[in-house]
Amino acid sequence: MTTPTTPATAPVTQAVRWDLGYDIHLGATWSRFMQGLREAKILANRCPDCRRVFVPPQAYCESCYVPTDEWLELPGEGSLEVFTVVWHGFTGGPTPPYVVGAIRLDGADTLLMHVVTGLDFSDPATVRDQLPQGSRVRAVWSAERAGHILDISHFEPAG
Amino acid sequence: MARRAAISGVATTEATSPSKQTSSSLELCQQAAWAALEHARLRPEDLDAIVVGNIDGFEGTALSGKHVTRLLGLGRHLPLIILNTGGTTGGNLMQVAARMVRSGTHEAVMVLGQPTFFGARDLQSAINTNSPMIVEQPLGMGAFHMGAFAASAYQARHGISARDLAEVIVADHDKASRNPKAHLRYTVDVDYVVNGTPLSTPLTQPMVCPVSTSANAMVLVSEARARALDHPTALVTAMGTTSDPYLGGGKGDFAALENLAALARRVYRLADIREPRQEFDVVEVFAPYAHMQPMQLEALGFCEPGTGIELIRSGATAIDGDMPTNLSGGPKCTNAGVAGELAPYLYVAMQLMDSAPPEIQVAGHPRMGLAHGTGGSFFQFENLAVLTRLDPAPEA
Ligand SMILES: [Zn+2]
Repeated sequence: MTTPTTPATAPVTQAVRWDLGYDIHLGATWSRFMQGLREAKILANRCPDCRRVFVPPQAYCESCYVPTDEWLELPGEGSLEVFTVVWHGFTGGPTPPYVVGAIRLDGADTLLMHVVTGLDFSDPATVRDQLPQGSRVRAVWSAERAGHILDISHFEPAG
Repeated sequence: MARRAAISGVATTEATSPSKQTSSSLELCQQAAWAALEHARLRPEDLDAIVVGNIDGFEGTALSGKHVTRLLGLGRHLPLIILNTGGTTGGNLMQVAARMVRSGTHEAVMVLGQPTFFGARDLQSAINTNSPMIVEQPLGMGAFHMGAFAASAYQARHGISARDLAEVIVADHDKASRNPKAHLRYTVDVDYVVNGTPLSTPLTQPMVCPVSTSANAMVLVSEARARALDHPTALVTAMGTTSDPYLGGGKGDFAALENLAALARRVYRLADIREPRQEFDVVEVFAPYAHMQPMQLEALGFCEPGTGIELIRSGATAIDGDMPTNLSGGPKCTNAGVAGELAPYLYVAMQLMDSAPPEIQVAGHPRMGLAHGTGGSFFQFENLAVLTRLDPAPEA
C-alpha cells in the first residue's frame, strides 16, 4: 500500500552535530619554536641554500627542497606590512573589533602573523592611517606562557 | 601526437540559498549528472570513470564520494576517483579528468561537483578549518579575514578606495542578474556595498560570496569522440596548478598575486598565448571577494598592476566588451563549494559550446576561453586552463 505524498515546498531538515576535538602533533621543528616562546624567545631557522630566514621555522625550504637546520633567535621587533581590522569574528575566536597584522621581524624573510594593539577604533575610516605600512611594532609577552603562539600576547606600536 | 581531451557536455542546476533548497545534495547531483550526460549525447555505459570532489570534514559527508556516485543511477561498474584538495577541489576535478583522457586509459570521464557547506549552521566555523590551526587561526583569523589581508595591501599600494572595490561587486551583480542559474540575482549600487555590515577591513558583507546550493557536472571525452559529435565542444588546450607556502606569512607580497602570475606564464606558454587581452574571448575567474577579480585580471596579464578595477569600469569585461569576464556573476553571486569551484570551467566550456543561458551567451561564437580556480589558506593554490572551441568534423 502506498501513501500519496506531495512534493516538499519548504526544505525538510534534521539537525545533526559535528563536534570533533583534535590534537595536532607539532613535530620537532614547531615544538622547538613553541619551547622558545615559553622562554620568551622568537626562534627562526635559515635555509642553507637561499639563506632565507623563516619564522615560524620550517623543517624544509619550500623553494630549495633542502632541510633547514640552522637556528637563530630573532628580536621581538619589526615592521608591520599589512593589517586588517576584524569587525566580525567567529565562534571561539577573540571578541571584535581587533587587529591582525603581518609583521616582518628584523632579520626575517617571512611574515609573522599576530594581533596588533594600540589602535583607536572610534572612527573606522581612519584606522588604517594610524599604522601605515612599515610602522614599527614590538612583541609584548604574556606573563603566563604555555608554548603557544599566544605566549606573545600581541604586538604594540614601537617608537 | 599526444591525445587531447575535450569537454563535451556540461550541466548546472538552478542555485538557491540553503534556506530555500528543497532537494538533497544527492538529488542535485543526480540532476546535474544526467543533464551533462544528455548534453554529451552519452549513455551511462559509455562512461569509463567518474571523478568526484569530496571535502572531508566540511560537512557530515565524509564518504559522500562513494555513496553519491553509487546512487546516481549510472550503473554498477563505474570506476570512481575521489579528489580532495580542499577549497580548490572543484577546480582540480576537470584537470584530473582531462589527464585521464589524455593518458589514453579513458575515453569518457564524468566530473561531478557537489554542493558543499549548505548544512553548516555556522559556516565560518566550517571554513575556518582551512586557516593554519597552530600559528594563525588562534589569532582570530578565519576565511574572510585572510582575504582581507590581500585587499588591504592592494588598497595601500595602489590607492584604491572601498568605493572602487564596490564597483567590482556592482558589476558582478549586474551580470548575475542576467544569469538564470545564478543565486543572488538582485542588482546593487556602490552605497549599498560600502555601507554593508563591516566584516574585516576593507571587506563588507556584500563584498564576500554567499552560501549557495547547486550541483555541476561535465563530461570529458577524447578529441576523436568530441569531433564526432554534432555540436561544438571545448578542447582542453593547456592547464596547470600551482601552490604558495602553507602559512600566510610565507607569501612574498600580499598586494599582487605572484603565484597566479607564475602559473599564467606557464599555462600561456603551453597554449602559445602571447597577448591574453587580444586572444581570449571569454574568461571566468574564481573571485569570491571584491579585490580578487581585479588582482586576478592583473596577474593573468590583462592589464597593468593596480588597473584591474579601471578595466572592469571600462566595460571591457561586460558581455559586449572585448574580454567578457565572469558573465555568470561568478562566485560572488553563486558559490556552492566544490560545485562553485568547478563553475568557472563549466561556464567557459558552455560559452565555447554556444550553450550558455542565452541571456549571458557571448555573441559571435567565442573560440578561446580562460578558466581559473583558487583556494586554500590565504588562497595558496591556483588552477588555470585554456579551453578552445572545437567544431564538429565536417561530414565525410
Ligand atoms: Zn631555500
